[in-house]
Amino acid sequence: MSALERLKGWEAMMLALLCAIVALNGVWSPYFLSVGNFVNLFQLSIEKSIVALTMALVIIGGEIDLSVASVMGLAACVMAWTFHEGAPMPLAVLLALAAGALAGLNNAFWIAKVGLPSLAVTLAGLIGYRGVARILLEDRAIGGFPDWFNTLGQQALIGPLTAAILIFFLLFVFFAIVLHGSAFGRLVYVVGSNVQAARYSGVRVGLVKSALFVGSAFVAALAGILYAARLGSVRGDMAEGFELDVITAVLLGGVSIFGGKGNLVGVGLSLLVILNLRNGMGLANITGNTQNDVIGGLLILSVLIPNMWQDLHNKWKGRET
Amino acid sequence: MTGAEDSADGATAVAPVLEIRRVAKRFDATQALDDVSLSLHAGEIHALLGENGAGKSTLIKIITGVHQPDRGQIMLAARSVTIRSAADAQRLGIAAIYQEPLLFPDLNVAENIFISHQDRGAVVSWAQMFHEAESILAELGVALDVRSPARGLTLAAQQSVEIAKAISLNVRILIMDEPTASLSAHEVQELFKLVRDLKRQGVAILFVSHRMEEVFEIADKVTVFRDGRLISTRARLEATPQGAIADMVGREIDLTKTRATAARTDLVLSVSALGRQGVFEGVTFDLHRGEVLGFAGLIGAGRTDVGLALFGIEPATSGTILLNDKPVAIRSPRDGMKLGIAYVSEDRRQLGLVLPMSIFANVTLPVLRRYLNRFGLVRTSLERGTADAFRARLAIRAPSVDLEVAKLSGGNQQKVMLSKWLNTDPSILILDEPTRGVDVGSKAEVHAIIAQLATEGIGIIVISSDLPEVLALSDRVLVMREGRQMAILDRAEANQETVMTAAMGQRPANSLDGSAP
Amino acid sequence: MTWLQRRVRPEQIRELSLLVLIAIAIAFFGSFIDGYYSFRTFNRIASSVAIITVVAVGQTLVVLTRNIDLSVGSIVGFTAYFVGTLIANDNGINPLLAVAIAIAMGAGLGVVNGVIVAWGRVPAVVVTLGTLAIYRGVLVDLSGAKTVTTDSLPDWLTGLPLVNVAPIGNLDIRPLFVLAVVIVVIFQFATTYLSFARRFYAIGSNPEAAQLVGLPMRGVVFLAFVICGALAGLAGFMFLVRFGNITVEAGRGLELSVVAAVVVGGVNIFGGSGTVAGAMFGAVLIGTLEQSLFRLGISEFWLDAVLGLLILLAVASDAVILQRLRALWGGAELKLVAKEADSVSGERRAPRP
Repeated sequence: MSALERLKGWEAMMLALLCAIVALNGVWSPYFLSVGNFVNLFQLSIEKSIVALTMALVIIGGEIDLSVASVMGLAACVMAWTFHEGAPMPLAVLLALAAGALAGLNNAFWIAKVGLPSLAVTLAGLIGYRGVARILLEDRAIGGFPDWFNTLGQQALIGPLTAAILIFFLLFVFFAIVLHGSAFGRLVYVVGSNVQAARYSGVRVGLVKSALFVGSAFVAALAGILYAARLGSVRGDMAEGFELDVITAVLLGGVSIFGGKGNLVGVGLSLLVILNLRNGMGLANITGNTQNDVIGGLLILSVLIPNMWQDLHNKWKGRET
Repeated sequence: MTGAEDSADGATAVAPVLEIRRVAKRFDATQALDDVSLSLHAGEIHALLGENGAGKSTLIKIITGVHQPDRGQIMLAARSVTIRSAADAQRLGIAAIYQEPLLFPDLNVAENIFISHQDRGAVVSWAQMFHEAESILAELGVALDVRSPARGLTLAAQQSVEIAKAISLNVRILIMDEPTASLSAHEVQELFKLVRDLKRQGVAILFVSHRMEEVFEIADKVTVFRDGRLISTRARLEATPQGAIADMVGREIDLTKTRATAARTDLVLSVSALGRQGVFEGVTFDLHRGEVLGFAGLIGAGRTDVGLALFGIEPATSGTILLNDKPVAIRSPRDGMKLGIAYVSEDRRQLGLVLPMSIFANVTLPVLRRYLNRFGLVRTSLERGTADAFRARLAIRAPSVDLEVAKLSGGNQQKVMLSKWLNTDPSILILDEPTRGVDVGSKAEVHAIIAQLATEGIGIIVISSDLPEVLALSDRVLVMREGRQMAILDRAEANQETVMTAAMGQRPANSLDGSAP
Repeated sequence: MTWLQRRVRPEQIRELSLLVLIAIAIAFFGSFIDGYYSFRTFNRIASSVAIITVVAVGQTLVVLTRNIDLSVGSIVGFTAYFVGTLIANDNGINPLLAVAIAIAMGAGLGVVNGVIVAWGRVPAVVVTLGTLAIYRGVLVDLSGAKTVTTDSLPDWLTGLPLVNVAPIGNLDIRPLFVLAVVIVVIFQFATTYLSFARRFYAIGSNPEAAQLVGLPMRGVVFLAFVICGALAGLAGFMFLVRFGNITVEAGRGLELSVVAAVVVGGVNIFGGSGTVAGAMFGAVLIGTLEQSLFRLGISEFWLDAVLGLLILLAVASDAVILQRLRALWGGAELKLVAKEADSVSGERRAPRP
């Protein structure tokens, strides 16, 4: 079976869409096809892209994590606050990552151990973790981080690629292998498809779910730190509302909201589609809000059109017999 | 009662309530129904037999308005009708009861009974509804709290609610699609009492079942389907189970053939005074290599709970388990698996299989660790090899082990589930309802597999509500009632009567003193 | 089973326990804050809760059917802005007409959601996540980022929040609060006593069974979204009345507060159970904390952290308490007819042919 044949309908659709957008944009603006533009494009929402990787795993596992944006904010605020209180920057970064892991453990406890619905638990997390971030920074903005830290977010390290972009690629490869090659990945699909059958097969469901939520929060914390490095300063409301963009990207990537279905190739393509679309529209002087319209519409159509196609197909078949 | 041809003549005297005339239905490449004609009279119980995919379900779905026939006519009281939806069917006095009762767990019992009434006005009068529901249930001799939500009702109680629902609608035609599949022998008798009452009231009943003895107990007429065609319709008195089975599969199969038994040698499992608080207690038995121990009893007697405790899903809270003479604690399914115990669940679709995943992924799931390379990645080629071996060994009919399990028939799904647990190399295999919802041909195959596994030295526990199955397979039968162990009967003393007596709460010793050695 | 147990169900006690929680919260704040028991406190809580409550009622209907509407915040902003603009341009417009337009506008947006979910078979999360962005985007594009200001609105509208509908002693009863209560009462009765409205519960409780019984699945889900949209439209009008100044950001993030109220109010996020009254109590509990915490001298920055914790505890205690109560009540089976069991097995043994 060749790689091309194995591309399922969804990925093929996303790929076609991507090609169309890139071609259209290329015709529209010659600047679009330059390497610098591509890097800029990536850089603009690289943090959301990173979080989308773990969000994909969580949703395939049959759960959802609404608290990711708040964890991003929390981690950045913990880092800024500890730095502001005089801690050395590396320690501040470590504490921020620890705070993220802790938030993930908290989510995992209520979901995996107590058995509450993840939608409710992470909604509480969305509000609560943001609250803790606000307590730390109140209405201040903290900046003035060491140069090496700001460089991390703003300067190209290898070729034109910044640290955040490199980390994204590393994580993409890592999570693609984890999800599609490892035993853990298989169990994520199993738990997302039929959690009871998983339990009856001796799968430690609680452990799988805990790993998903801790991983999700940890990666979100990392993304929050990278975001802080890119912006150069941190505020309490940082990354607010990002969760919806992240979930949109994952669902557009063909991941089923009901769990058990989807893959990282689709999510990667969906990220590229969104980025290119936004960028192309930006170059064509279309505002951010219209961009949101288009992406929202795309999200709905991506599920609606295959459904309608199938209905038509069935009807046509029915007439034939 | 007369033969098939004569009964058609008899129909001229009393017009049939329902007449199916030359109905055909095709789905894609398969002809699900081919030129089927059938008539159903008031006060008649008409049984439909056939393997899965023979066309029974399609016929039922056409009568209840789920599917439309491609050709042919449906006549109701000599009038041609078109049934486009479930609501249409209901208006015409047709109701259906399915194998898995479909209740609304969050609504109370009364509301469940009246949910599909369209003529009760826009405003719900709760007091009146409770009152009416109570009187219907009282008529049926069923004691249920009508104000309680349906959540948590036993399957038998759910069936009662379904029947109450049908009665409240004043049905003329009641279709029962494997209503007894999840019921124990006693509950089946209770159900049959209700069915006979309905029959006396002039309701025409179409009864689908895989259990031959039930069909021959209750039906007036027996119709057999095979490959979408109606093979035969006979009056019950003229039909025989052997003949019906031959019609169903096109060859002779004997399901009552008892398994050859071996000598009881090495003890593998010794359980004493096992209990789980509030669920079951005092379960004591030995299991030997190559022995099949049957678990009989009514639904809710705690048989499945003992299985779940032995496998560690709902661990026991008291008693001891000796495995190869060593005491063991089983607190989780992983503990159970490590000790060589495998539990094949009664509920294939919910608990047993991951339907959207491939055959091989299902087969290797419990022991996925074995298939990892040194980088911790899954070697799918190895998985496919294992699955292919089982496909050959258990004769799983599938073009490839990459196929989604959801696309297999019930019997083949059951075999995949068996493969999955045999792949863990168990020394003790617990089979819970191994042939529920499986057609006759596959059932015989599963029985043969079980017999083969026993000769290979596996200790097997078969939990089944299908009493003939338990009797045909088991060396000994453990009978439970209301969470207690009532008896362990040797093959010589186990028969329908002794098992049922014990399951009803009477020590079989009383009745067996004279006959048992 | 006692008489009391037969009449009162664990599910009803859930609402009662919320009332007790609210009472405890009020008693707690009352003992720490001077002059807490005053009509000012009542009014502050009542007016802050009114809008969330109205939206939560609609959301409850949608959640009951196993769906969710994340676009309500955008619908509130959409209607608040456009009805505001309409009134600002024509101060003489009939107030009732303005309300009707707001409701119709919201219902129209709900129709879009409902059609795509019910007939397009697209999961509600996907649809409303999309329309959340689209409705807001259309609002921003059409508005040209202008703002509705209080000055441009007629006096009857800006004065409405302070009108006293029915003075009870010193207690002022404000119109927005009255409206919210009326909506809750109407929908609580409807979902309890109207045959059609019971279908919201049936469909969420077991969609497969609903289909086989022949309930109009699509119609009911569609209706839930339309009502939810209509109520969000009404809430948009209330938003306009309460704040006067409406930017294109109006109501952003409201969907999360609404879902929080519904979840705290004991509506099962997987459909089938919960009540409109419960959702209101959820909103009141959250509103009480929001409006009281800062008066304890706690920094406003602490509010969200406490709120998050509260939601978590509410959901956890709800799950645990309900489970305990159900166990205490036992199932519906009084005693299955085991009588005459012996005679049955005696007289009707399976005939062997």
